[in-house]
Amino acid sequence: MSEKNDLFTFAEFDETKSEHIAAPRYSYWKSVWRTFVSNKFIVAVCIMMLVVVAFAMIQPLFSHYDPMYAPNINDPSSKFQSPSSEHIFGTDNIGRDLFDAVWAGAKNSLIIGFGCTIINMVLGIIVGAIWGFSKKVDVWMIEVYNVVSNVPFLLLAMILSYVLGSGFKSLIFIMCVTNWIYVAYFIRTQVMIIRDREYNLASKCLGTPTWTIITKNILPYLISVIMTYVSREIPVNISYEVFLSYLGLGLGQQNASLGRMISSYTSYMNAYPHLFWIPVSLLAVISISLYLVGQALADASDPRTHR
Amino acid sequence: MERGYYWKRIVRSVISILLVISIVFVLVYSLVPRERIFNSDDTLVKLGGKPDEKLQYQMRTWQRLGYIDYENMSSYCSTLYEAGTDEIAACNLSGAKEEKDFVEKYESLGYDITYLPLSKSPIASKDRPIAKRIVEWFIQLIHIDSPNYVDEEMFPDVERKIYFGKTPTGGLAIKCSGCEYKYLAYTDTSFPFIHQNWISLYLGQSYPTFDSLQVLNVISDSQGQEKRVDTVFEDGHVETSSYKMTACKWKNSLDKLDKNKFQDNYANCTTIKKDPSMMGISFIMGIIALVLAYGIGLPVGLLMARSKSGLADKLGMLYIIFIISVPSLAYIYFFKYLGSTFFHLPTAFPTYGVSDIRSWVLPCVSLALPSIASLMLWTRRYMVDQMNSDYVKFAKAKGLNQSEIYKKHIFRNAIIPIAQGIPSSLAGCITGAIITESVYSVGGMGKMLPDAINSYNNAMIIALAFLYTTISIIGVFLGDIIITWIDPRISLANKEEGR
Repeated sequence: MSEKNDLFTFAEFDETKSEHIAAPRYSYWKSVWRTFVSNKFIVAVCIMMLVVVAFAMIQPLFSHYDPMYAPNINDPSSKFQSPSSEHIFGTDNIGRDLFDAVWAGAKNSLIIGFGCTIINMVLGIIVGAIWGFSKKVDVWMIEVYNVVSNVPFLLLAMILSYVLGSGFKSLIFIMCVTNWIYVAYFIRTQVMIIRDREYNLASKCLGTPTWTIITKNILPYLISVIMTYVSREIPVNISYEVFLSYLGLGLGQQNASLGRMISSYTSYMNAYPHLFWIPVSLLAVISISLYLVGQALADASDPRTHR
Repeated sequence: MERGYYWKRIVRSVISILLVISIVFVLVYSLVPRERIFNSDDTLVKLGGKPDEKLQYQMRTWQRLGYIDYENMSSYCSTLYEAGTDEIAACNLSGAKEEKDFVEKYESLGYDITYLPLSKSPIASKDRPIAKRIVEWFIQLIHIDSPNYVDEEMFPDVERKIYFGKTPTGGLAIKCSGCEYKYLAYTDTSFPFIHQNWISLYLGQSYPTFDSLQVLNVISDSQGQEKRVDTVFEDGHVETSSYKMTACKWKNSLDKLDKNKFQDNYANCTTIKKDPSMMGISFIMGIIALVLAYGIGLPVGLLMARSKSGLADKLGMLYIIFIISVPSLAYIYFFKYLGSTFFHLPTAFPTYGVSDIRSWVLPCVSLALPSIASLMLWTRRYMVDQMNSDYVKFAKAKGLNQSEIYKKHIFRNAIIPIAQGIPSSLAGCITGAIITESVYSVGGMGKMLPDAINSYNNAMIIALAFLYTTISIIGVFLGDIIITWIDPRISLANKEEGR
């Protein structure tokens, strides 16, 4: 009898315990991380992407590649070399090292892709949040949007690069000048959907300032939607740079560009296939891995996927 | 209610077009240095050693393109004196006493006076304000032919009337005497059977490429070699010729050949050529690609939705990711390579020309690839969304079989947003595909804009901006109208619910 009683002890009565909410600790960012690393394939892609991006950023610092500098232009033996230990990716039509060229081009493509995406997203999210929240702003912005969205982007991009000339700054300007409004419109629609939900009405009734409602109640809800958009936006921006450079309107002769490389090496596709396929493959690897990682991050940042 | 909405929408669209064209006008004509238009002009190179002529040629070209108002001594002299007199000859010489009056007159009108480098003869020029040019562009845009077209002074006895008649081939026609065109409207046996020359768009003069042609003619006239067939002329005689008799325009001075062929001054005929126009080629190519895209994209998207997370779904997603993330330039070249090495298809459109079906295969497939991907993606998305909705569960609970639910419930609802895109993509065919057409060197519309930009053909840029914008606005508008037809629940008016 007494033995049995020893197994149990009386618990002390604690009044504060009744106030405690028995839920597991939930940290949003930790859950995002856990969901993200649970997919081994994506982690592998992510590591590959980081290596490629880091290499593209660092390699040109050492190679000092300059597309205008061609020391071997008068030396026929140094032209069109196949990949070897001396030139890992071979040499091009005027004897330049292709390895240096593609990494310099990849660096520019990445800067353009990330730079434009960041500018567009920041501008678009700020304007879109205000636009979606205020009816007065909406009346005007929707008219501006109607006009801007009617201008075919390629037309505008081509005319602007015709007017501003080619180069880094003008290219980034061209790719941002109207594109943020599409982000803003997208965010506006999303904000409108959730701004009138009950918890926001309650928040409003309790006297929360509008800015706090936008930043604390609405934007966190949008993170996964925004990430989905970003993961599409980066490859699209890289693609536009390639496209504009292909037409001779993008970065200009003085900057290395994968787009111009691809377009100028197409004529050697059959005779010297490495000249064409190496830049194309690198571009494909960069865009696909960025897209996949972005999509996985978007899935991971949606709280509904957390377990 | 709906009608009011349509009117408002049309007004808004017109305002959008006005704004877009104004912006493009300002960009092109005020930010691009005007000297650049001569970059590819051979005439200017030939005049290199003659600075006087060179400057005058530049001034005349700028005047023709609307940049400036320009006056020189010879035009001033001809307003003062009769042609052929000694006075006009003296006036045209440099250092003539009239030069002082010329300078005074045009300075008072606000012109800038410069002197030619060698002869020191004065010329006057004044920039034309952009706002004025935009207004003029829109006023000239719609050109309606009238019997007052022919110059009254040169041809005082031309009858001026519009009357009913017949075309040389026997069709009915509304004919005109004194208009620019002889046949204002007529019927014939080719599609769309009723044609007209009465109302036409004037989009400016092309320069420096396709010089002395109207922009609209550059993109809409047939191309290539002349197509010579037996043609019935006005007086009934038949002759092998490439003239299109129903598109003859008034010609001020006739030569001997014209007099043999024609009875009146309507002798400036367009020639029919073998290949379709730039617009035509782009349109045919676009339509084929569109049919391919809907023919493949829709069924595959449906299949992906039905086997969600299955093998077909995963393969489809792989393709979609490939197309979305790889730059279009790269995969177009990839498919070009596949087509040429494994199927021995021509890699350039002109190799076999328009009439050979092999020329069309690769460009059309390249054009369809991205549309297939996006159709697959969206069809799958909409289908999956509908599959999870309550009415589908209800239908299942009632015991309807699977294929009936798919066909009658899910598909009917999922197709609505897809149908909305059809008019846009249909209209978009006219504007051509920039990359595909330049990769395969197709003579279509797509290469026109980059070409115009690279050759500084400003009138062409403005015209293309106008066409692109108008077409895309009309496409979106038609798309919205179509969804209200398909789904009566959708009302375009009052779209934003107030709160």
